[in-house]
Amino acid sequence: MPSKLFRYALAPLVVMSLVTATACGGSDPTEQETSDPSTPITISFFGSDASPTWNNMKDDVGQAITKATNVTINAEYDVSGGGTQKIALMTASGEYPDMIFPKGSITKLVEAGALIDLTDLIDKYGPNIKKVYGDDLSRLKYSKEDPSIYVIPTNAGVGQTTFDAGGGFEVQNAVMKELGYPKIKTVKDFENVLKEYKEKHPTINGQPTIPLSLNADDWKIMITVTNPAFNATGAPDDGEFYINPETYEAQLHYKRPEEKEYFRWLNHMYNEGLLDPETFTQKSDQYMSKIASGRVLGLIDQEWDYQQAENSLKTSGMAERTYGHYPVQLDEKTKDRSFQDIGAPVGYGIGITTSAKDPIRIIKFMDWMASDEAQVLNNWGVEGKQYEVKDGKRVVPAAVQERKVNDNTNFTKESGIGMYNFSVRYGDGVKDPGGNYYTTNFPEQIIAGYTDPEKETLKAYGAKTWKDLFPQKDEFPVKAWGAAYNLPAPDDPNYTVNFQKSQDIVRKRIPEAILASPDQFDKIYDQMIAEISTDDMKKMEAEYTQMIKDTVELWGEAPAAK
Amino acid sequence: MESTTKQASSRKRDQAASLNSRKTGGFWKLFKQQRYLYLMSVPFVIWAFIFSYVPLWGWLMAFQEYKPARSFFDQKWVGFDQFITLFQDQQFYLALRNTLAMSFLGLIFGFIFPVIFAILLNEVRGMVFKRTVQTVSYLPHFVSWVVVAGIVTKALSTDGGIINELLVSLHIIDQPIQFMAQGQWFWGIVTASDVWKEMGWSTIIYLAAITGIDQEQYEASRVDGAGRFRQMWHITLPGMRTTIIVLLIMSIGHLVSIGFEKQFLLGNNLVTDYSQVLDLYALKYGLEMNRYSYGTAISIFNSVISIILLFTANGIFKKTTKESIM
Repeated sequence: MPSKLFRYALAPLVVMSLVTATACGGSDPTEQETSDPSTPITISFFGSDASPTWNNMKDDVGQAITKATNVTINAEYDVSGGGTQKIALMTASGEYPDMIFPKGSITKLVEAGALIDLTDLIDKYGPNIKKVYGDDLSRLKYSKEDPSIYVIPTNAGVGQTTFDAGGGFEVQNAVMKELGYPKIKTVKDFENVLKEYKEKHPTINGQPTIPLSLNADDWKIMITVTNPAFNATGAPDDGEFYINPETYEAQLHYKRPEEKEYFRWLNHMYNEGLLDPETFTQKSDQYMSKIASGRVLGLIDQEWDYQQAENSLKTSGMAERTYGHYPVQLDEKTKDRSFQDIGAPVGYGIGITTSAKDPIRIIKFMDWMASDEAQVLNNWGVEGKQYEVKDGKRVVPAAVQERKVNDNTNFTKESGIGMYNFSVRYGDGVKDPGGNYYTTNFPEQIIAGYTDPEKETLKAYGAKTWKDLFPQKDEFPVKAWGAAYNLPAPDDPNYTVNFQKSQDIVRKRIPEAILASPDQFDKIYDQMIAEISTDDMKKMEAEYTQMIKDTVELWGEAPAAK
Repeated sequence: MESTTKQASSRKRDQAASLNSRKTGGFWKLFKQQRYLYLMSVPFVIWAFIFSYVPLWGWLMAFQEYKPARSFFDQKWVGFDQFITLFQDQQFYLALRNTLAMSFLGLIFGFIFPVIFAILLNEVRGMVFKRTVQTVSYLPHFVSWVVVAGIVTKALSTDGGIINELLVSLHIIDQPIQFMAQGQWFWGIVTASDVWKEMGWSTIIYLAAITGIDQEQYEASRVDGAGRFRQMWHITLPGMRTTIIVLLIMSIGHLVSIGFEKQFLLGNNLVTDYSQVLDLYALKYGLEMNRYSYGTAISIFNSVISIILLFTANGIFKKTTKESIM
């Protein structure tokens, strides 16, 4: 009898324990506590940027890294980019990956005590990191109140000289060619070019021509709708704020009267039928597929946002439909400040969390990634495969270069080049002791990376790279606070809630104003300004102003940027 | 089906009566008799306790200013502050309006269509045709909302979208309509895509209920000269009544927690005034800002409303139709 009873009771229990056993099967047995570099270790990593070309280290560079360090990175990247939701869940549960690239969410992690202070670790185990970063190490301090170093900046290169432009306003090279390469200085010039070409070619490849399309899906609205408003009116990029260079006073940048005129122009473009009516309803993939079909004449975007669509244009033999970059301004009074100097790079970086069992091993790995050997590996690939050394010079063979240009996505997946930015690194234009550039972005290589139609367009303007068309860095003073979007924003609810509210208002009202009839524009825009000028919003701006002032002060103590 | 429930309830009443008369000794006797049943239910009681009752501990968070990575005793207690902030926020009321509007629309259409569809399908004679239609109609249930949202946006697009092409070529409209840009269309679009996706799936349970109806009733009515529509009205529909009401009461309990997938995926900046729902609001202003306490306050509000709705609905149906789930 007891056995029967036992059986009945056991049946559901067995089922349930099976369920739990499978659910808990995720823990990693390879994790071991050791700083000994000869034992294999798996380091988990979370990146807040989407990374569709990540190939789980099965690529050439990844294999080489594992061979050299015995480290395998188990990476997870945020799907839509941003990482805020994922990181909020991490802080709620207290479970973190070993290494994390939190972008703007760093404040949440610091608040939760999830990141460890790297100051001593770098001092003891990071000779390469110290070498690359040099005297500017103190710029990595988190804030005036908390001078710890939580992240090693990874998405900006040290000593970076940018050789190419990826932003501004874009026009298809085919359009410029047909119209005889007219001057494009102001939004009116831009508009005329798109209009003229559209009248000549109402359809492309059998589908209706779209003169201008923007991507307003989720946060991309900042990249292609609101950021261009300050870019085109001579203000530098400080995220959602405009910072007065003398008083450091911060205000939401849409409040600048010039920007209202910029949005008025977009409103005009819409009412003229030149702006894609689906601009504010389409999703990123729809936007991309329109570009990839070759019928969008102009964009106001950053190259990294539409890169994949442009790659697909190249792969499908429509290279003449790729885009050139022009520093378009609202009128001739202002200059594009894309290349204004922000001083030594600080910014989004990678930190080590309290969940990491072996921080020493991780910092050693990051230090190795900062070594000359690793930087060349990450940027150039494997010697003999992706590059060759001829007379002491690194050269990319023609066949590899051809794939890099025309089949970039697959090439990146196979080679892994540029996928391993896990530590501080030199930027473009810095040479190693052998006299070679660390990165492959140097003038000759960039020019080699252009498609023929791009080269043709540049030649017509007497330029070598797109950057030559833009105002150069020596035309502007160095920004004392770097770039505000790189700084950790205040974390108290008075700031975060009101900032989020301002964003909700702006992202709703600006599309509404652009899609209104011209006589309604002023009413809607002024209403938006009133909504983001309440006392709460002003307090939020004041808090941001204070943060900027503190940063300038904190950095002022550090050796000046060279 | 009805007869079996009646039998069951009468049996229950007998047991209750015998329990009352014999008090504790009777209970133990009964317990001994049914020990296997009790034992089998133990794991599930534990399961329900762990997953449904233990998390209620977290509700305390709503009365704190919760900061992660700090022990429970180090948290700051703020009383009803979170709720006060919540009820003072205009956006909360907007989100509440949108949630209720879309869930009521979903409730109404998500009931009418599957019921009608089930009745019509039941009348189909050809077995092959009937099965094919049923399978085809419930397939969209397995498609994720991400894909459905893609299909819907593409179909409603002004740039070669099928709906606009159709309307223009039929000369119903001259210019393609920007469906996705109009806030007032949004609730309709969400409801329609929901019906399209879930209609076939919800039909299954009604079809099952119809199968349970005694065929003799149909025969009897045919003898009495009832046509097909009369049979549907007087036999099929009343036969499904219990199922319909039970499902209705349960979905009323879920009215406020409709999730946010649809709204999140189909919405865009132009229609936020109509697409922001409570869950999305909780995500944006709670979790994403590390305001866990605020998020918890919203979810407590949700639960309280759900319970009230559930009991009200149950009570009303108990009174009017004598059907209820409790």
